[in-house]
Amino acid sequence: MKGRFYRFTRDLHLYFGLFISPFVLVFSVSVFFFVHSWTPKLVAETAATRVVSSLNLPTDLPKLSGRPLVDALKPILESMNVPGEIGFIQRRVETLIIPVSIPGRATSVSIDLARREATIVTRETGLADALMTLHKSPGGHGQTIRMNWFAMKAWGWFADATAYLTLFISVSGIYLWYMLRAERRIGFLLLVAGTLTFLGIAYAVSH
Amino acid sequence: MERWNRKLHFYSGLFLIFFLWLFAFSGLLLNHPTWTFHEHWKNRKETNYERAIAAPGPDAVGDLDQAHDIMRQLGIEGDILWTTTRTDPGLLEFQVRRPGHFFFIKANWTQGSATVRQADVNLWGIAKFLHVFSGNVADDPRNRRDWTLTYLWAYSMDGVAAGLIFMVLSSVYMWLQLPKKRWTGAIALGLGCLSCGLFCLGLRWLF
Repeated sequence: MKGRFYRFTRDLHLYFGLFISPFVLVFSVSVFFFVHSWTPKLVAETAATRVVSSLNLPTDLPKLSGRPLVDALKPILESMNVPGEIGFIQRRVETLIIPVSIPGRATSVSIDLARREATIVTRETGLADALMTLHKSPGGHGQTIRMNWFAMKAWGWFADATAYLTLFISVSGIYLWYMLRAERRIGFLLLVAGTLTFLGIAYAVSH
Repeated sequence: MERWNRKLHFYSGLFLIFFLWLFAFSGLLLNHPTWTFHEHWKNRKETNYERAIAAPGPDAVGDLDQAHDIMRQLGIEGDILWTTTRTDPGLLEFQVRRPGHFFFIKANWTQGSATVRQADVNLWGIAKFLHVFSGNVADDPRNRRDWTLTYLWAYSMDGVAAGLIFMVLSSVYMWLQLPKKRWTGAIALGLGCLSCGLFCLGLRWLF
């Protein structure tokens, strides 16, 4: 029974670990970009601008805010072929500035409400920026409007799954290590050393 | 090689386990701001006080030096966050942050005083802040880490990220040494790569 449970745990540890390994790489590699405020560009960033006129805008658009505004803008952006996650919308006199993102692409749509015209600037920001966008998503900000694009909503599920599976893999890893009698002593020393290092640093920065 | 790869895989896992739990768990909290149990900002404890200060010495020429001088006089430690543009040379307004504690400082040395609003948050707040605490603000060269312990934490995050990358690579190597699990493992890894690749590269290609 013990042997079966051990083998079952070992298999789950292996398969779940292999499944989340690309996600773990995304989160780990992007840590360096965040910590050092560095976004490497493998290819030069490109930008393209286009203008769309004669927009069909709802009359109550200037009065809307928050999620209703995002929901009202979705079909308008769709009609202009601007897919992606809508971010914080800025309002200037008679103009709405809408950031729309797809990992690796940032689009800024400025809608002139009076002229019913939109200026769309699309920037291809590259892989590193894509990893950073994914690392931050869904994130803690703008909870009323975020995850308004199905693809980013799906990413939120994968990000959660990565966290849950990481917790499972770490606990199952402890069990698998503990079953190796010959490695208990040195493993225990490393566990204590890691715990003290973590608690020491966390205490120092927060007190 | 095979033996040492396996040993180093679980040694590094054991050493990093608390860091891993912190980032996985706080990642979940950041992704779910609607979970009310981890509310930290609403439950903060605030204290306001005013202290007499002397004008910074002649050595303190820039904003950063002057802010450090004021922090030394007030006995406050942490990473400085610039939020306002300075308009009066006799006034300096800035924030000091470290996990769990936020200080909002307004120093006026023509009046010889500084007002401090201090906000202390709970353990959930500390965990979430540790997740994002690098001292740098993206696209803002004025806000760069300036506290020794921020450097220590930032480099710890680098270390954890490097450790995770090693663990992913070592796990793939270990899996390749198991001929019986080659196909099932390939399916798990393939599914992970496909789904993760869809978000990193595929979305830009599809939309």
